[in-house]
Amino acid sequence: MNIIIPIKQVPETSNVKMDPETGTMIREGLVSIINPLDLFAIELGIVLQEEAGGSTTVLSMGPPKAAEALREAMAMGCTDGILLSDRKFAGSDTWATSYALAQAIRKNGDFDLVICGERATDGDTGQVGPGIAAWLDLPVATYVSRLVENRPGSLVVERLVEDGYETLEVEKPCVLTVVKEAAYPRLPTLRGKQRARKTELPVWGAVDIDADPAALGLKGSPTRVVKINTPKVTRSGDIRTAGDPAELEAAVDDLVAYLEKIDLV
Amino acid sequence: MSTYHPVTPEIIAELEQIVGRRYVIHGDSEQLEPYSHDEITEKKYHHLPDVVVRPRTTTEIAAIMKLANRELIPVTPRGGGSGLSGGAVPVMGGIVLATDRMNSIIELDTDNMLIVVEPGVITNDIDALVAEHGLFFAGYPMSLQSCFIGGNVAENAGGGKAVKYGVTGQYILGVEMVTPEGEIVKLGGKLVKDVTGYDLTKLIIGSEGTLGIFTKVIIKLLPRPTEVVDLLVLFPDPETAIGMVSTIMTEARVIPTAIEFMDRLSAHASCEYLNERLPYEKAGAMLLIQLDGNRKAQLEEEYEAIGELCLEHGAIEVYVADNYTTQERIWSVRRNIAEAFMVVSPHQSLEDITVPVANIPKMIPELERLAKKYDIQVPCYGHAGDGNLHATPVKNPNHSLEQWEEMLPQILADLYAATRDLDGVISGEHGIGHKRKNYMSYSVSDASLELMKRIKRAFDPNNVLNPGKIFDV
Repeated sequence: MNIIIPIKQVPETSNVKMDPETGTMIREGLVSIINPLDLFAIELGIVLQEEAGGSTTVLSMGPPKAAEALREAMAMGCTDGILLSDRKFAGSDTWATSYALAQAIRKNGDFDLVICGERATDGDTGQVGPGIAAWLDLPVATYVSRLVENRPGSLVVERLVEDGYETLEVEKPCVLTVVKEAAYPRLPTLRGKQRARKTELPVWGAVDIDADPAALGLKGSPTRVVKINTPKVTRSGDIRTAGDPAELEAAVDDLVAYLEKIDLV
Repeated sequence: MSTYHPVTPEIIAELEQIVGRRYVIHGDSEQLEPYSHDEITEKKYHHLPDVVVRPRTTTEIAAIMKLANRELIPVTPRGGGSGLSGGAVPVMGGIVLATDRMNSIIELDTDNMLIVVEPGVITNDIDALVAEHGLFFAGYPMSLQSCFIGGNVAENAGGGKAVKYGVTGQYILGVEMVTPEGEIVKLGGKLVKDVTGYDLTKLIIGSEGTLGIFTKVIIKLLPRPTEVVDLLVLFPDPETAIGMVSTIMTEARVIPTAIEFMDRLSAHASCEYLNERLPYEKAGAMLLIQLDGNRKAQLEEEYEAIGELCLEHGAIEVYVADNYTTQERIWSVRRNIAEAFMVVSPHQSLEDITVPVANIPKMIPELERLAKKYDIQVPCYGHAGDGNLHATPVKNPNHSLEQWEEMLPQILADLYAATRDLDGVISGEHGIGHKRKNYMSYSVSDASLELMKRIKRAFDPNNVLNPGKIFDV
């Protein structure tokens, strides 16, 4: 079974400081890590490959520094890595990013499965996984919380949905995006680190993946960030004082009347 | 032995005049309670003060000490309250002098690579500030988020990085302090060399707040290492793990920043507490080894050499953490041991024995013997790289509290005797305070103790500053 795992290198944001003037993140001095939610995709891929054989190829689009993230995933146990790095990719939104990743997956050859993290902690869109599926015209199961069974031509997966879990059978090849219940990431070992350092890590540009230059980078990105603001909390409460029993009685009556009005009692 | 006088309304009024009414707490036991203990949870080590004062200036502190001498009232200085030997507990009542308002950074002198701070600055804030200038403070107590630098100097705090960088005291170039009699003195300075008279700076470092109250601290800084790598190594048994400590330094020829040891009990308790699913069940012990430097390639060579050596000597697995995610993950196992054991049993005695590094392997069977003899658990973890082990006798849930309390002094006596026989001391970094003062004879001869007492009397003839700590005068 050949598995592709697209990952992203993101800034570590648990200790992030905000600029009080502009309300934006102070990026200076931030360290880069593998998108924490991608670790579950990496682990699930490695577990599947250990059981079924084949390969796990970890793939990332980013600056040359993103090679660190790929080597870390390889140290955990992914067999191969590919870095997509080219100035032409700069400024890509989720549309252009999923296009480039899909082109790279096509170019890399036969595969049975693409596993993505649910979303990246910096962009937070959750669009790239399903985007890859759309470009490759493959079935997609999002929010996968458990791989139930790996059948010869399909996968049975459990999805986390709003009011519980849903079980699906998906034909291979397919795309999964996984949530943290799907797997518990292992730590890279010394042997893994040594192997990852020795494994060749090809770097592909726009030409290598036969991409349409007009569909890449800022040019290929329909998304425009017009304005960023902090959402206002629209919920409001009504606090009633109940100083004496009469006031209390009145407040309770009003509450009951309100709950009846909105059909809650 | 002095007989102390009570804190009268007149004295409260005078204290209010010195520091301002807002900064005097008295009469309300609920408000005084937080000042009655440090991080030792057993109530028998707690004691309420009569009054808490929170001065802002050196002259205010001097005035308080003059008052204390005139009226014979004990004064106990307090930093962040994260101590583990009772140093900040007012065992004789009287005044607690809290340094939390003395929290300014006075000067960052990058040309001399030093920083001058007031005692109430949180230690971690110092490191965060100097990090912006590519510098670092090598003192690294484990309670770095809450402890004050003044307390660290008073206790000569050690912590995780002592293998390579030594303890807090090595970075203290000088202090300004108020003597027990209320004189303001400057000891040391911005100097690397200074043999002008007795080295009083060294004397007051680690004096547990019995010889003076710091009002300024001059701290030496180092260039900040840019790269850090941690190894988490799983071993089949504690002997193999502990045996590696000296092997790493002598055979791999690398001095790690930290070598932390966790025995089976500690590692398992912490992993379960954290829901960490690394294969800890296979491990009889773990070492957490940290390396730092400025070149990635060199660090890679060093960690590979250490990792290979561990595997050769029977390690089960070597994990490598070279980024924030994995480093946080493995260090949280080490950091959460004490908390994990509080869940198992709140009745325990966090000990702080230190032996020469090469004698650590001999300490492990002693701890096992102790556990068997008293039918208790003695989880052991700590800074193995410098010989400092936090062996922690924990009450057996089947024993009654009375049994435990009767047993504990004997357990400690046995533990300290074993430590002494291995050329060790009863405290490496937590201090004596009032928790361990009855056991001083296990580490210090009568003649040495008498010298210490004479020094105390010379500094504090009325014995008003932090009485009842380390020894009874």
